[in-house]
Amino acid sequence: MKKILNGNEAFAMGALSAGVNFFAGYPITPSTDVYEFFMKEHDKYGVKFISATSEISAINLCFGASVAGGRALTATSGCGFSLMQEAISYMASDFVPCVILNVMREGAGLGDINRSQGDIFQMTKGGGNGDYHSIVLSCSSVRDCIDMPEIAFMLAEKYRTPVIVTYDSDIAHIKENVEIKEIKTHNIDSNFALVGSKDNPKRIQNIYYHDKNYDETLKNKYEMIEKNEMRYRSYKTDDADIVFVAISICERICMEAVNVLRSMGIKAGIITPITLYPFPKVAFNNLKEDTKIVVVELNILKQLRMDVEYFTKFKYKYYSINHMSKCPTVKEIVEYVKEI
Amino acid sequence: MYDMLCKGCGHRTAMSIIDRIIKEYGIKEKTIVFLDVACCSLLMDDIEYDDVMCPHGRVLDVSRGYKMLRKDKVVISYMGDGAAYAIGIEEMIHSARENFDIFAIVINNGLYSMTGGQFAPTFTGIDRKNIDSDKSELNFDKVLKIENLLKSFNINYLARCALTDKENIDFSYECIKKQMDIYMRKGGFCLTELISPCPTNYKMTIKENIDLIDENIKQVYKIGEFIVK
Repeated sequence: MKKILNGNEAFAMGALSAGVNFFAGYPITPSTDVYEFFMKEHDKYGVKFISATSEISAINLCFGASVAGGRALTATSGCGFSLMQEAISYMASDFVPCVILNVMREGAGLGDINRSQGDIFQMTKGGGNGDYHSIVLSCSSVRDCIDMPEIAFMLAEKYRTPVIVTYDSDIAHIKENVEIKEIKTHNIDSNFALVGSKDNPKRIQNIYYHDKNYDETLKNKYEMIEKNEMRYRSYKTDDADIVFVAISICERICMEAVNVLRSMGIKAGIITPITLYPFPKVAFNNLKEDTKIVVVELNILKQLRMDVEYFTKFKYKYYSINHMSKCPTVKEIVEYVKEI
Repeated sequence: MYDMLCKGCGHRTAMSIIDRIIKEYGIKEKTIVFLDVACCSLLMDDIEYDDVMCPHGRVLDVSRGYKMLRKDKVVISYMGDGAAYAIGIEEMIHSARENFDIFAIVINNGLYSMTGGQFAPTFTGIDRKNIDSDKSELNFDKVLKIENLLKSFNINYLARCALTDKENIDFSYECIKKQMDIYMRKGGFCLTELISPCPTNYKMTIKENIDLIDENIKQVYKIGEFIVK
């Protein structure tokens, strides 16, 4: 069945198809639609919903639901996401799965509700205290928003780690006609759930306390993630002289810019990292040596470019088109590329 | 048993009471204990039930998330006064406001004990230095008394006991047993606070610390059952 949905509604529908059992959230623009969806629809789909009294509360309720074996989800933005970092760090160290949606909003502190991609550092480099990474998945369309929850829960349970799904507020509010998937129910009796024991009690606690080889365990976990889970999309990169790197709404704009540039005889292509962590460095393997890489993003500190430079070992020429929250136009991109 | 705790620590007594009650009810196989960090976490490898170590002050939220998906389990939320009444007071208020199914045990010694005995909002002001002097100048009104805070909510059980002598420990057992009875029968928010000695941080012998509770701290914190439904 096809339906016209915005990104947030699609994400909620996608989460139902992924068998979500539990949603706890605290409203914050631009992620509120997800909260509202579950508030209205949870009974119909048998999802436990709780209107938490803060983001701290929301993520800890999800922690508890995950310990019970459920597929737990929360959705937030900006400062709300910052409030969740402690529990995300706990879940990473305790090997507890969970999916967190962070719809990025503009600026530091309160900022504003405009589109932005300013949380890339925070999401990919940790955010909370200690030695951990969360897997980070980005969406560029309403279609992606439908598909991503299933991938997110799969990865969260495979590696027993928190997974963050992210997009900007343009994708959150853009409306597209998409095919929705069948709703699934997830059985909470999974192998990691605590259910009580007769002997040999199970313990969910920081890995440093109960695993004597925690160095190895942690190293293996993140090595496996980095080896197996790099995901990306690429378009016309085989013969490209100019390669854009962009996520979310910027991918959509660059896609059009690629077609315009190609029609003008400039060989352009685009790489979209779907996993921001682990960064899909293999996507850059077959580029020509003199390729110019243009990173298009919505933040001032060039957060995505920093990863691109590092993971491609600084061997290309790098350029940036970046604004705080104003979307670059196709014309602006084309003009910029003509200059270089 | 519970070897990591200091001599005279109230956690040992409290957990032994809980052990006894769980044994009496025969519910070991469906009991999950949610522990707070700091001194509570010293129990984490010794208790006989599945356990979860929660972020500081978030025990009630993590327990709630769990209980919402597994209604049939006995979920014990075990924390100190710092977690319950300082950093986690928001969770305490909202769990009580909703009268959510919670079986909470709060060990109250008035101090942040793991870090060396800094004062918590529950500290009465009475310690080794002023134990024999006039206490009229101490401002007991500033002490957080949970019964005053929670009495406006429709909760099912609230009591305070002290882990001092046999009489008081027996009373603690009676209270926690009644709490378990109410929790098993009809759920709702059930909390017992246990006034506990901490000889290490009060810098006293066990006997001196127990006397301090019996003679002084109990004047500030009234012992008894406040709400039974």
